Amino acid sequence: MSIVQVTGLRKYFDAVRAVDGVDLAIEQGEFLVILGPSGCGKTTLMRMIAGLEKPTAGKIHIGGEDVTDLPPRKRGVSMVFQSYALYPHMNVFNNIAFPLRAQRRELKFDKRAIREKVENTARLLEIDMLLDRRPRQLSGGQRQRVAIARAMVTKPAVLLLDEPLSNLDAKLRANARDELKDFQRSSDITAVFVTHDQIEAMGLGDRIVVMSEGKIQQIGSPQHIYDDPANEFVATFLGSPSMNILSSDGFRFGFRPEHFLPKTLNDNPDNARILQYYVKRVEYLGSDRLVYGYVHGHEDKLTLAKVPSNVRVSLDIEGDYEFAVHNSDIKYFDAVNGRRIEQQNLARAL
Amino acid sequence: MALLAWILHNFWSLLVACLLALVGLRIVWRIHKYGATRDELAYILRRSPFYLLVLTFCFFAAAPFLIMFMHTFKTDGDLYRRPQPFVFRQDPTLEHLDALFNNTAYLEFIRNSVVVGIAVVIITLVLSLPAAYALARLTGRWGERAAILMFLVYLVPPTLLFIPMFRIVVLLGLKDDPMSLIVVYPSFTVPFSMWLLSGFFKAVPPELEEAALVDGYNRVEAFLRVVLPLSLPGIISTIVFTFTLTLHEFIYGLVFIADTSQRTLSVGVPTELILGDVYFWQPLLAAALIIAIPVGLAYNLFLDSLVQGFTMGAVKG
Repeated sequence: MSIVQVTGLRKYFDAVRAVDGVDLAIEQGEFLVILGPSGCGKTTLMRMIAGLEKPTAGKIHIGGEDVTDLPPRKRGVSMVFQSYALYPHMNVFNNIAFPLRAQRRELKFDKRAIREKVENTARLLEIDMLLDRRPRQLSGGQRQRVAIARAMVTKPAVLLLDEPLSNLDAKLRANARDELKDFQRSSDITAVFVTHDQIEAMGLGDRIVVMSEGKIQQIGSPQHIYDDPANEFVATFLGSPSMNILSSDGFRFGFRPEHFLPKTLNDNPDNARILQYYVKRVEYLGSDRLVYGYVHGHEDKLTLAKVPSNVRVSLDIEGDYEFAVHNSDIKYFDAVNGRRIEQQNLARAL
Repeated sequence: MALLAWILHNFWSLLVACLLALVGLRIVWRIHKYGATRDELAYILRRSPFYLLVLTFCFFAAAPFLIMFMHTFKTDGDLYRRPQPFVFRQDPTLEHLDALFNNTAYLEFIRNSVVVGIAVVIITLVLSLPAAYALARLTGRWGERAAILMFLVYLVPPTLLFIPMFRIVVLLGLKDDPMSLIVVYPSFTVPFSMWLLSGFFKAVPPELEEAALVDGYNRVEAFLRVVLPLSLPGIISTIVFTFTLTLHEFIYGLVFIADTSQRTLSVGVPTELILGDVYFWQPLLAAALIIAIPVGLAYNLFLDSLVQGFTMGAVKG
């Protein structure tokens, strides 16, 4: 049974279709990442689940109950905001106790119970020595932990996170990602995480929802959406550098730079497609070499190859080389709507 | 009395002596702390033009009040015979202060002004807090239009409004009653306070409120627990501004209330102490000075938030 069920959800801001018909089921205990470029409607979708935005059409169920018209406080969700939204006039203890005090009447918390819960949560997130500080005296990473502690202290059914790592510097971010994942797994909470960063999405998500222009493009595990993209948008949005897309008669095909290797490295040349590749320039990136060039017959499109540095193939001289891609690594897309076409259906489609 | 006379006779010498003593003490303290080195003396010399400039500005700001203070104690003869604002040629007297407190209704004016001021401040806050919050958060077209409309009301001058307002006051049976001022003053304090407060509310990030909503509060509670504490400087400046607006309002106070004992300071003092073209300068100045002191203290106490209030209004208003 899914804990959050979203059906036919739409949100229009005047003429702008921010969310345009989304169906989504979020399972109990999973870490779901909503990934998309900025302006794709992912934050609006999350704000509608939280109850901060009223949907134009559609239904939201949380824990089996229809919450579409309920205010945020009656939905059993918590949220970590991008700016953390810590209350600047309260110290850390009062920030974390804030949601407990809000629900004091219904849940009958007394002062001691509140203190105990705040201290337990703070210990779990290793901020128990900061309880007397004000938010402005904290570092970015500490603020983020306080925001998570405040969201977690009431043990919500669903934890919503709106790009909580984007305000941290790069080094801290990798660490925070790891801790967040550990924390989610150990507390067995359902987390919905919105981000535009594909590395965060791939690293954190049990499942990833890829969104674009208010619509869901694909839902699946990180490996599934990387290896088996549903359309050209998903294929090019994930991966860095992104997938090479070349046009053919009536369709387009694409392959990832790391699958595009010199022919001599290919162990199974019978099952591969050989392409004449004109190498223009090579960037040495340490573990890999990034090759810029053109595939013969597709000189209008810059094509990239990512060759591991430890293979002894010389690519230093500008000129023609033979490169190969496994047939299974080539994805075919409809030239009109960008939808994926299976290779065996290709002949029929043409 | 003899001491007061001595102080007033030597007022300026005493003031200069006090300042010199302060400067001297500071120099002694610095030398005690850092030692009487060549650097230290050079530092003191280098700073002296700065302090001179500060003293000059202070004098310009304070001189009117100092002169008001001195004139309060001057006899008529000393005041009118070739005015010499800075010196006493006859002994000072307390008769004008005595006249102000015992022959006029000065204390009643103060009481009326304070009652009217506090009542208007309360009414203004009750009306303008929710209104300003709505204006700050309704950022759509209608919110902007409403804000402009409200401000237009503030721009209609009381000199146009006092006749229709008087009709209303008579209709309500509030003529000669300070209550009439409590009813009418919010007509200009509410738009002004709304404009001031909405600037402060706009400075509170909406996410903080949204966080409070998700944390389990409704909109009113979120406003009371998050927005209000964060805009406390704005609320304090609104209180001070509103109070001083009512304190110096003249036309309504003059027109609505003819009964002397019911009048407020701004009307009562000039009508009692200016008869025709005769100005009773000493009690007039004393009356103005006495009421200026608490207001000045309030302004200085909340100076930071007041400045913030003005600049914020300048940017966001």
